[in-house]
Amino acid sequence: MKVFVVDVARCNGCYNCQIACKDEHVDNDWAPYAKPQPDIGHFWLGIKETEHGQIPKVKIEYKPILCMHCAEAPCLKAANDNAVYRREDGLVLIDPVKAVGQKQLVEACPYGKIYWNEELQLPQKCTGCAHLLDQGLQPRCVEVCPTNVLRFGEEEEFKDLISQAEVLNPELGLNPRVYYLNLPKLFIGGEVYDSVADECLQGVTVTLTDAAGKTLTTQTDHFGDFWFRRLEPGVYSLKIEMDGCKPYELNSINLDKSLNVGAIALR
Amino acid sequence: MDKKIKIKDKTCYKNLGLCGFGDGSNSSQVDVLNGKIVRIRPLKFDEKYSPEELNPWKIKARGKVFEPTMKSLIPPHSVAQKKRAYSPNRIKYPLKRVDWDPEGERNPQNRGKSKYVRISWDEATDLIAKEIKRVHQEYGPGTILVQGDGHGSTKAIHGPHGCQTYLLNLLGGYTIQARNADSWEGWYWGAKHVWGRDPVGQGIQANLWKDVAENTEVILYWGCDQETTPWGWSGQQASRLSYFFTELGIESIYICPDLNYGAAVHADKWIPVLPNTDAALQLAIAYVWLTEDLYDKEYIATHTVGFDKFADYVLGKKDGIPKTPKWAAEKCGVPSRTIKALARRWAAKATTIAHGNGGSMVRASYAHEPGRLEVYLLGMQGLGKPGRNQLKMIEWQIFGMNENNPAPRSKLIPNTSGCYNGWAFQMPNQFIPKTLIPDAILSDEPIKFYGTTLCAWPTEDQFVEYTFPQDGVPIHMIWSDAPCWTTCWNGGNKFIEALRSPKIECVVVQHPWLENDCLFADIILPVTTKFEELDFADDNFSGNFNQVLIEEQCIEPLYEAKSDYECVCEVAKKLGLYEEFTKGRTIEDMVKDGWKHSGIAEMVSYEELKEKGYFVIPTADDWEDDPSGFFPFYQDPEANPLGTPSGKLEYYSERLAEFFPDDEEREPTAKWMPYGETHQESLLHPRSEKYPFLIVSNHPRWRVHANLDDISWLREIQTCKVKGPDGYLYEPVWINPVDAEKLGIAHGDIVKVYNDRGWVLGGAYVTQRIIPGTIYQDHGARLDPIVPGESDRGGVNNLICPHNTTSKNCAGEVTSGFLVGVEKVDVTELAKKYPEAFKRKFDPGAGHIFENWVVGGEEE
Repeated sequence: MKVFVVDVARCNGCYNCQIACKDEHVDNDWAPYAKPQPDIGHFWLGIKETEHGQIPKVKIEYKPILCMHCAEAPCLKAANDNAVYRREDGLVLIDPVKAVGQKQLVEACPYGKIYWNEELQLPQKCTGCAHLLDQGLQPRCVEVCPTNVLRFGEEEEFKDLISQAEVLNPELGLNPRVYYLNLPKLFIGGEVYDSVADECLQGVTVTLTDAAGKTLTTQTDHFGDFWFRRLEPGVYSLKIEMDGCKPYELNSINLDKSLNVGAIALR
Repeated sequence: MDKKIKIKDKTCYKNLGLCGFGDGSNSSQVDVLNGKIVRIRPLKFDEKYSPEELNPWKIKARGKVFEPTMKSLIPPHSVAQKKRAYSPNRIKYPLKRVDWDPEGERNPQNRGKSKYVRISWDEATDLIAKEIKRVHQEYGPGTILVQGDGHGSTKAIHGPHGCQTYLLNLLGGYTIQARNADSWEGWYWGAKHVWGRDPVGQGIQANLWKDVAENTEVILYWGCDQETTPWGWSGQQASRLSYFFTELGIESIYICPDLNYGAAVHADKWIPVLPNTDAALQLAIAYVWLTEDLYDKEYIATHTVGFDKFADYVLGKKDGIPKTPKWAAEKCGVPSRTIKALARRWAAKATTIAHGNGGSMVRASYAHEPGRLEVYLLGMQGLGKPGRNQLKMIEWQIFGMNENNPAPRSKLIPNTSGCYNGWAFQMPNQFIPKTLIPDAILSDEPIKFYGTTLCAWPTEDQFVEYTFPQDGVPIHMIWSDAPCWTTCWNGGNKFIEALRSPKIECVVVQHPWLENDCLFADIILPVTTKFEELDFADDNFSGNFNQVLIEEQCIEPLYEAKSDYECVCEVAKKLGLYEEFTKGRTIEDMVKDGWKHSGIAEMVSYEELKEKGYFVIPTADDWEDDPSGFFPFYQDPEANPLGTPSGKLEYYSERLAEFFPDDEEREPTAKWMPYGETHQESLLHPRSEKYPFLIVSNHPRWRVHANLDDISWLREIQTCKVKGPDGYLYEPVWINPVDAEKLGIAHGDIVKVYNDRGWVLGGAYVTQRIIPGTIYQDHGARLDPIVPGESDRGGVNNLICPHNTTSKNCAGEVTSGFLVGVEKVDVTELAKKYPEAFKRKFDPGAGHIFENWVVGGEEE
């Protein structure tokens, strides 16, 4: 069975994948695999861009999202007349003839990756570039990726990576065939300094405690900076301690977005 | 299902970089089906050559390996480039401005306002030939100005820039617009005087990837955005390289006002600095080093001259003001404790500074000061010692020079000189620095300037005073193939004033798209994209392997378009000079000449090259032996002197002292220069009460200068455009949430960015990616004039950047880090006030459409 493996740690946000999808499918008719995609508005593969943090601790997260080619694909069930089918290699395709008028397919996808083509009255989505695969080529998004974020191949071949990977919205129980590595999640960061000496404080111990009482500890670096990365949303408390100083505490941090707690002066 | 549908008829090879001269990048495979381009893919080096033939390099360091990829690393600009061929803004046929009558009223004041009528190629070339003859007879040959340089598609046989110079030479001459050292301003006008580095003032690059990988511990990406500026030039190897450096454990520190696209993904630390205040930060770093004894005194003694004068200035012995971190913090916005930490980190670790051109550090007023100060600081830590150099993330091998190549050396740097029909740097009698074109046209007196004769000229040229007109005859006609004065140059509104001057009797523009300065032309010729041409090309900038390509014609010319070269051929026919101009050579002949002189003729036969379509040049066997960067100078400065008069790093330039004794803006030693006689673009100047923001205008992420603004697939990316309530896609203006709140601006609002030079619109993009007191808007959006010479809907902020040059004696451009005001506007109200401009139709994806500017066009 074919799978996509997406390592977002190396995604530089160039959008090549999103553009190549359009280059392949807009104004090109690959029936019976797919009819042409409209010029704008469809993102069979789309980059989701998220801004994390506050100045000067800001990062941009880019996440390519495409049809998950789910093992339990809800679109398959929602389709009439077998308008959605699964190929032997596991890819889920929409039949562009049978699916005409079946707008319910757009609603059926919880990932929002089926788009409505108004002109053709047709639901459309990623085909895994099946028309190219069948000629021994790669999906376009994979081929144009400069940093090897997107990979495509046999599930078996990626076994090791998949064991460390996550899927999007696992709670839906759809067994997606697109696996993600290194999703950045959220961060808490800050800076510690000595306001009297006007110096960054290096080597200060910073402790983060989550609601279950689990702690993470780090030390500030040469800029006095500290970071806790890849955090799940939740309630946290933060403690900064240095010998001879009054500890600094920040409790009940309700983390739903990445947070820079700012520059903290120890006294 | 039918397992085999037809996915292509043929594959052509094209370099799709946008350098715009003969040397290219971003080689791609272009698939064609039924006469239409269906897809653009990376070129596969190993599809037709074995890895052994390519001799792939390997950089091994700290237990890791960096190798070339077997595919080209093309950017989205290349992947999406077929949209340029099929753009709704393509010029379909020759045009004449409706109220330009060469026999009667020429109405120059209506340039930028009046529409165009369709004419035939025959009529158009008749008109151009007649105008050339008339102007030559009335005023003399030097009175036609050729704007024949700039960025754009990389072509060789078909130009793209300056083909007309060969024809005008046959007729007795012309005036050339001399290429400016754009994007190198600070290096060219500043750093050159410290380290004597010609051609453009940047450091020696040879074999630096290896040196950095092995020895560097910290990289300062100073105003560098390697995820933006290199794209159109060299693709995405710089991105892979940055990930590799991080894997090696090298610390990446970004110093810039904006969280640029490189910082957004690669930064370990972002130190935001107010635009064009880098000099204050640099001086405070020197202060920490001097007062804490953290610099290489022995190196200073043996490798530099004039250091004492600089040290005295830093310590305040000269002006009574010590350049302490506290002093700097108030000016540059970086906390003094962070400045100290940065200075100590730099002194403790082998540090290299990375640049990608662009940004406020090298393109703002007095850019020569931060440019020089950077070299001073590099010197204080022993420039050229292992791991301590200045690394460029762009323009690798530029000018065909190995010393400009930080990558492992190739066996050969090929070239296209055997068939290049663009302007090839042969200076005619008359020239005007690009930045002074409006002055040259508008002034009734001759203008004087110091040599920016050409961007890569030796330092000595900066001491020569020139006068225009050299032959005593001013400009009366313009023939342009690079119509981007309004979008990319210093004070575009001033260029508009010049273009509308009655002194200019005829403006001819040839271009594929009806955009930017085209709207000020009297005659317009439609040009093909490179997909429609047969050409010969190389790929030298991409940082994997060098290649040579025969660029087969993918599709038939669209509409009535002809290539830049063919446009000039058509005019040559009317002047009876066709044979002389072409020398009887066909395009096929020229392709063969290209191969013959490219340097590869010994490596591959013409027949084999033609059959395979491309040739990949292997890595040189002995590349690892090449010394890195300034290492030879570090080792033995007497045996390997720099290009300065003393052969050393000059912290005090005797030459500047001798030639410009009264220049307070560029003294022999660099200093903090927030404002002066030429510029008042600083928050410390009272002018900032009226215009309280500094604008950062980098080179654009989703364009190359003014190229590519019509690609719908790029325009729907969230950082590319902001959709207004009227459906128009406005150029984003980044505003910090603190400023947005103060100004009552919400994300997605339409705002006006203004100063005393005019105003442009933009779409508010409220973000933490820009610091308070500063806004960010890319340059190069397509011109959509509201009132020509005053205001613009497209967001062309170059219209309102300073027209004054870098400083009094430096004719560079100032296009970033200048003062503006920002306020929210109501586009419905604006549409009522300026109905002409706001009723122009636009494609919901691609924007401007050709028909808007053609009489009767709406009905077609």
